[in-house]
Amino acid sequence: MRLLVLALLFPLLGHAEPATVIRATELKSEPATDASTVAQLPENTAVEALDRQGGWTRVKAAAGEGWVKMLALRYGGPGSAKKGETGIAQIFNVARTGSSGTQVTTGVRGLDEEKLANAQPNPGELDKLDKFAVERKAAAGFAAKGKLAAQQVDYPK
Amino acid sequence: MTRAALLLALLIAGPAQAQFKLPDLNINKLIDTAKGVVKATHEINESEEIAIGHDVAARLLGAAPLMNDMRVQRYVNSVGRWLASQSERPDLPWRFGVMDAPQLNAFAVPGGTIFITRGLLESMHSEAELAGVLSHEIVHVVRKHHLKAIQKGALTQLSADAAGAALNNVNGEARKKLIAFGTEMYSRGLDKGDEFEADRLGVVIAARGGYDTYGLPAVLQTLQGMNAKDSTVALMFKTHPAPSERLDTLAAKMQPLLDSYSSQPQLRERFALETKTAR
Repeated sequence: MRLLVLALLFPLLGHAEPATVIRATELKSEPATDASTVAQLPENTAVEALDRQGGWTRVKAAAGEGWVKMLALRYGGPGSAKKGETGIAQIFNVARTGSSGTQVTTGVRGLDEEKLANAQPNPGELDKLDKFAVERKAAAGFAAKGKLAAQQVDYPK
Repeated sequence: MTRAALLLALLIAGPAQAQFKLPDLNINKLIDTAKGVVKATHEINESEEIAIGHDVAARLLGAAPLMNDMRVQRYVNSVGRWLASQSERPDLPWRFGVMDAPQLNAFAVPGGTIFITRGLLESMHSEAELAGVLSHEIVHVVRKHHLKAIQKGALTQLSADAAGAALNNVNGEARKKLIAFGTEMYSRGLDKGDEFEADRLGVVIAARGGYDTYGLPAVLQTLQGMNAKDSTVALMFKTHPAPSERLDTLAAKMQPLLDSYSSQPQLRERFALETKTAR
């Protein structure tokens, strides 16, 4: 069950995902602008998206395999059904009600609009939040362990 | 308050009365109302902001509790606190919490409290993606998006003097109403412009923190691949611009910056290790 949920949640880990290029795009041999061009993909070309590296996604297209700019991709093939209730929500419905009925809003408990509207303060949980807090200095040590280096970057105008 | 300011507030508060009912005017009541308007429109100071956020956060936690997993909670706090340190408000009492809910969502509360749901965390592949989402939420706090919306709402929902009282006092009916309104705001959503700003500036915060800047776009792409009618994303889609629109906007405005910092670490392994108990 857990594995099934994970498999549905992480289609990009190992699985190809149907996608479309939203504008004419160069298919590159490497994830870099100056890499050689494998093919020119016209707008709306259907591809299979594999993995991501920085701003690039590795794809399989009819014209070959290579890398395209990640932001040129949208998931779900042209005209193909999108993922949706075939995903996690439906599994929860089946698990809880024994049928994949239409009452999706009651199928998944947790944080929905109704819960927000009727929420009463929970001071106990708020106190827990303080216990989880990390001090600024400790966070800097954590960043250093991950080899994260702070950069000076200005906001765009 | 100067006489001129009071007079101005008085004119804002009751132009109709001032023009047509001057003889019957209850001058003391009008002055009280004017004071309420001034209080409700004044710049809310940091301790007031934190107090309002405290009450709103307690309500949100009434809707969904925290995950009972110290390791994951500390991990998300470490990432969040590091990123908040790169913002213009590094010294707020920043608190991050993973809510135990299967839906995909995240919330920024005035004063520096940020929530992310277990569902959203489970959909991610790297620390850079987590950093992208937390940075977006940090911008909401830094730019006071929710606080301003609460303040604006208080003025339209409550009478001017009640709004002033609600924003400044922690007790009473008006305050309760204000906090209920502030919590409900998470079902209605902010202005689209606030969300786009949080995307743009969030990418900058992630870059400052040393992360691969494509974390947020990667999360948006995951969301874009889901059906908006899916019950796990229904609320998030209702309260935010469509993911494809957000991706288009980032591509149009931020591509050079995104590319300049895209080779910074993604930290996939650390993310997988630190969140494995939550999955």
